[in-house]
Amino acid sequence: MTLNLWTSSAIVLGFSFLVVGLDEYVAKPWRKKHWERLAASGDKDAQELLRIARSAHVVDE
Amino acid sequence: MALDYDVPEDKRALYWLGDKLIEFRNPVMIVVIVVTAMFAYWAMQLQLVTSFGDLLPQSHEFVKVHNKYSGTFGGANNIVVMYQVKDGTIFTQKDLSNVFKMTEAMDTVYGVNHNQIESIGHRTVRHLRVAAGGTLRAEPVMLRAPQSQEEVDSIRRIVHNAENVYGLIVSLDDKSALIRANFIEGRLDYRRIFDEVNNKVVDPYNGGNVTIYVAGEPRLYGWVYNYAGDVFWILVVTYCIEWVLRWMYFHDWRGALRPTLTGLIAAFWGMGFIHLIGLALDPLMLVMPFLITARAVSHAIQMHDRYYEEFERCGWNKRRAIVAAFAELFVPTFSGVITDALGVLVIILVPVIMLQKLAITASWWILAITVSEMLLNPIVYFYLKPPEPELVILRERGWFRKQIERFTHILMSSAGRALTLGGWTIAVLIGLYFMRGLTIGDPTAASPLLFSNSPYNVSHTQIQDSFGGVEPLIVVAEGYDKDAMKDPQVLRTMEKFQRTLERDPAIGYSFSLADIIRAVNRVFHELEPKWGVIPDSWTDIGGLFFIFFSGSPPTETAKYVDPSYTTAHVTFFARNHQGDNIRRIIARCRTFIKENPMDKASFKLAGGLIGVLAAANEELVRNDILMNFLGFFTIWIILLFTYRSFTCGLYLLGPLIASNIIVNAYMAVQGIGVNIHTLPLVTVGVGFGIDYGLYIVSRIIEEIRVRGDLVESTREALVTSGKAVTFTAVTMIVSTAFWTSSNIRFNAEMGLLLAIWMGISYVGSQTLLPILILTFKPKFIMKEAHYTQTQAQAAAAKRA
Repeated sequence: MTLNLWTSSAIVLGFSFLVVGLDEYVAKPWRKKHWERLAASGDKDAQELLRIARSAHVVDE
Repeated sequence: MALDYDVPEDKRALYWLGDKLIEFRNPVMIVVIVVTAMFAYWAMQLQLVTSFGDLLPQSHEFVKVHNKYSGTFGGANNIVVMYQVKDGTIFTQKDLSNVFKMTEAMDTVYGVNHNQIESIGHRTVRHLRVAAGGTLRAEPVMLRAPQSQEEVDSIRRIVHNAENVYGLIVSLDDKSALIRANFIEGRLDYRRIFDEVNNKVVDPYNGGNVTIYVAGEPRLYGWVYNYAGDVFWILVVTYCIEWVLRWMYFHDWRGALRPTLTGLIAAFWGMGFIHLIGLALDPLMLVMPFLITARAVSHAIQMHDRYYEEFERCGWNKRRAIVAAFAELFVPTFSGVITDALGVLVIILVPVIMLQKLAITASWWILAITVSEMLLNPIVYFYLKPPEPELVILRERGWFRKQIERFTHILMSSAGRALTLGGWTIAVLIGLYFMRGLTIGDPTAASPLLFSNSPYNVSHTQIQDSFGGVEPLIVVAEGYDKDAMKDPQVLRTMEKFQRTLERDPAIGYSFSLADIIRAVNRVFHELEPKWGVIPDSWTDIGGLFFIFFSGSPPTETAKYVDPSYTTAHVTFFARNHQGDNIRRIIARCRTFIKENPMDKASFKLAGGLIGVLAAANEELVRNDILMNFLGFFTIWIILLFTYRSFTCGLYLLGPLIASNIIVNAYMAVQGIGVNIHTLPLVTVGVGFGIDYGLYIVSRIIEEIRVRGDLVESTREALVTSGKAVTFTAVTMIVSTAFWTSSNIRFNAEMGLLLAIWMGISYVGSQTLLPILILTFKPKFIMKEAHYTQTQAQAAAAKRA
């Protein structure tokens, strides 16, 4: 298959949206649950990570 | 929000600038978007074009001779078509008719010089015939496609007795015939020529007992254009791989997006500028824009990494983190961009138009990174949602960071330091040994632009095997007055020149006016071999020329000699254009010309493909060392201003010079020559190396101000900036190495070469540079150890 400027632009744009979507709606929720599960099972690193993250106050002005 | 918090005093101006960019984000953003949109519009109109004239060093004496005579004696832009039969000979009614029709078709291809087609089916290839009354006539070998076997037999007899045909355009085994066509330099449309030759000359006659091979520079560039579409696949795949890698590294899609924006904006500015100044993209230089974009992406990764780091350090305050990342990385990023831009601009010294154009456009393109990376960076971050704190923490305690810490621990141990210094010393010594074999010019017989099994190189090899040589070297015999070419001494010297150079193994055969006069003299004396010599008097020579040329129009005779008999040429057909062969052939030509002066004329070097390649190679030799020196010197000067230290340049350039030696050795071992295509890529590669070093040294200085200890500061620099440098290097190496899948061998080899360049310079910046700093404790770093103390004392004095 031969690509040109427009078909290749469409592919990379589509791929970018796919990555953004997978990150927002699949990877992040999964990661969060994963760390919570680890923390619940007694993993010290996971507990520390969640403690710092929960105590963090993000300033986004 | 004002800058109402503590910031490092010496960087207050940069913190202020970062903050102001955020404050005035809307007008800055609008201006950048409008200008980028304009450049994007121009970039969309950019075309892929190669101009043969741009590849030549126009100020070189050989190229001046080439330009002056290429219109008459033939240039470097020849297409050679070989019609070859598998069984029998070409002397059949069908095959000779095919050759005749193919010649007619070739005469209709766009851009062909109608007076410079050589084929037994073309009017310009003539033989002498004794006519009624004892007169001699020079008639075309074929006036029409043969109508009977008798005509075929007659043509065979003519070919076997014509010195200007047999062995030159019909092979000695009668199995092949050549059609050689020269193209007008100003009308070289490679894509169109490629298609027309296929549709009109090759496809209708290829197959069965016949195989048609096509070679020559316009054909080669036609194939390059044909394969140029590969670039879209390469770009798409590398883009996707890079996105995945960046997402894995940052654990966040913003980390994948931000560097893409930087690369895109820089690419629009760069390509738009190329179109704006009336230039085009060369398909052979496509690796170059890719590399510059990769450079932009590489700076953006550093910035993004630092932003995440500062986000945690600044107590999860987005704006402060953005400003801190901007201010702290301003020096290495800006120095890196300026170093790269000025380093590439050095290429302008090579008097080859294409390289000069490249130097200007690449420098601009690199400078455009300052807009996307520095001006727009804080604003884009401000608009984007900040990363989740757990992501930032996760990254700082992740697997990758742990591996970098482990490696740094080993590197900085006593054994690690000794191993690093010893390993690099041995590698450089081995590199120095092997780099002696580095060739200037093409090191291979076929075209290095394409793979050896590509259709072009297969054709090239077949034609060389059948005819001994197809690549012309035109030496012009320039008379001091008219009729100089009728002088016996001039003609004998030309003949002697031919016999002398034909002894060189790289020369297949040669042709000159002397061959014509000997053949005419022999025919005039009833084909007695003893008369196949050059007559002693110019009147006899003039008479014989009159006999041969009297029936031909001046446009046809001009390819042998000009109408006033002042200028002619000796054309040697070389078997290949290997750099070493060209150098030896030209040296032999110079020796012969020096030892054989003529009274009425002098030889001028040199036209044809071999002549112009010799000129390009001589310019490369002349400029290669100077360019490398100036490239490194420019970097040293910028480092001098950046760190206000004479020795800083030595520490940063040391690993780069070592990397350069190893890469040159690799080129020598792999048979990759230094030519006008490879020269700028190596210069650009140097820029990557310096960027890695700049980020690490800047971080060591930053850390030593806080920690006061060189070992701890170096360790911290390697696990923070070094981590980002490692990731940048990995992504760049992976994506550059993907160019190895290109059908264009040049791009594939350059991709591999640059991947190796980046790999070695990365290893140098991550191992040799810190160990040199730890071993020699340079003053420009150590003086910063007292920075905090000095600042505190200054503040106390101020309060007092």
